[in-house]
Amino acid sequence: MRIFGLLTVLLCGGLLIYHTADFPAWGDPASPASTHLSPYYIEHSIDDTMVPNLVTAVLADYRSYDTMFETVVVFAAGIACFFLLRAAKSKTPESMLYRHIPTGITLRIEKGSKTPPDSADFERIDSVWVPYDLIIKITCRLLVPFIQLFALYVVAHGHHSPGGGFQGGVIFGAALILFALTHNLSNSLKRINEKTSALFAASGVLVYAGTGILCLLLGANFLDYSALAPLLGGDPKMAHSHGILIVEIGVAIAVMAVMVWIYYNLASRGRHDEGL
Amino acid sequence: MLLSIIGNSIVIILVLVGLLFFAGGAVGILRFPDFYSRLHPAGKLDTMGVSMTMIAMAVYSLLHGFTLTALLTSLKIMLIVVFIFITSPTATHAIVDAGVRAGLAPWAKEDSGEEAP
Repeated sequence: MRIFGLLTVLLCGGLLIYHTADFPAWGDPASPASTHLSPYYIEHSIDDTMVPNLVTAVLADYRSYDTMFETVVVFAAGIACFFLLRAAKSKTPESMLYRHIPTGITLRIEKGSKTPPDSADFERIDSVWVPYDLIIKITCRLLVPFIQLFALYVVAHGHHSPGGGFQGGVIFGAALILFALTHNLSNSLKRINEKTSALFAASGVLVYAGTGILCLLLGANFLDYSALAPLLGGDPKMAHSHGILIVEIGVAIAVMAVMVWIYYNLASRGRHDEGL
Repeated sequence: MLLSIIGNSIVIILVLVGLLFFAGGAVGILRFPDFYSRLHPAGKLDTMGVSMTMIAMAVYSLLHGFTLTALLTSLKIMLIVVFIFITSPTATHAIVDAGVRAGLAPWAKEDSGEEAP
């Protein structure tokens, strides 16, 4: 059986390598992409979409289908991590550790025993708990808002400079993961829990696909933003620009939520009880 | 003309000083005996080198016409300096902290010539 698998892989790989010879040479000016496609984008993108950044115009307008399914791929990665790693049933651990905050004493409570009351004096801690480091905590508290602000800037400024939904979403997710790293998993689960992150991941894809369907309902092609002009105000060309922004926001939400979701599953081995 | 010469010399001096810090940091990382003492040049001199070269760039962007765009660019560069100045020593601190918690003993003069236990 394994020999068949090997043969299939070799055959497919060989075919792929063999057919790379048919590709146009690197940077060939006579290749189809360079003769009509690229010049069209370079000459018309600013007139068609009012977006100065060519890459954004191609990514989210001309090649919008591609980007939509890229977002779906990101979402699928989050779903895959969820199904592979998430432990279905949360087992009650053998013993739980509680910390009495005023005195700093740690209590070990065996399974089935009475747990301390929910009060500000007791907190449940991880089995690999380390004392909070004041310097790291304060620095991250200082930095996280700036990182999030920068992420929003990257999302919104994708029309004019390098950036856009994927990059901004990753930066935003990284800020949330930084918070989770410097505090702990239960703390960050309080801020944004698993359901929220899953919901955000799905709704980001929904915003993207919903924009396309809205265009369809308004009588244009799927993801043809000029149909949104009556809703957004302005002329159809400006609607392209606004439509790109809406779509980018959808991408950013999806990427951010998927990053956080994957982190939760990886950091706690799918149990979501304790972790970094 | 004179202003441009002064500005350029400031930029050159800052870049050279920054590179000197970088060179010192590189030598320190290679030459110091153990993990903790190697983090010392890595944390301090790299921060200083980055700050110096970045400030040089901020000045440089103002040299060719004092416009709003140039001012914004150099402000952004100064922001990078501020953030690096905060985060780089914190990162070093976190690494040292992790080393201490993992139980790595610092190098002492008695056991020179041997690997740190």
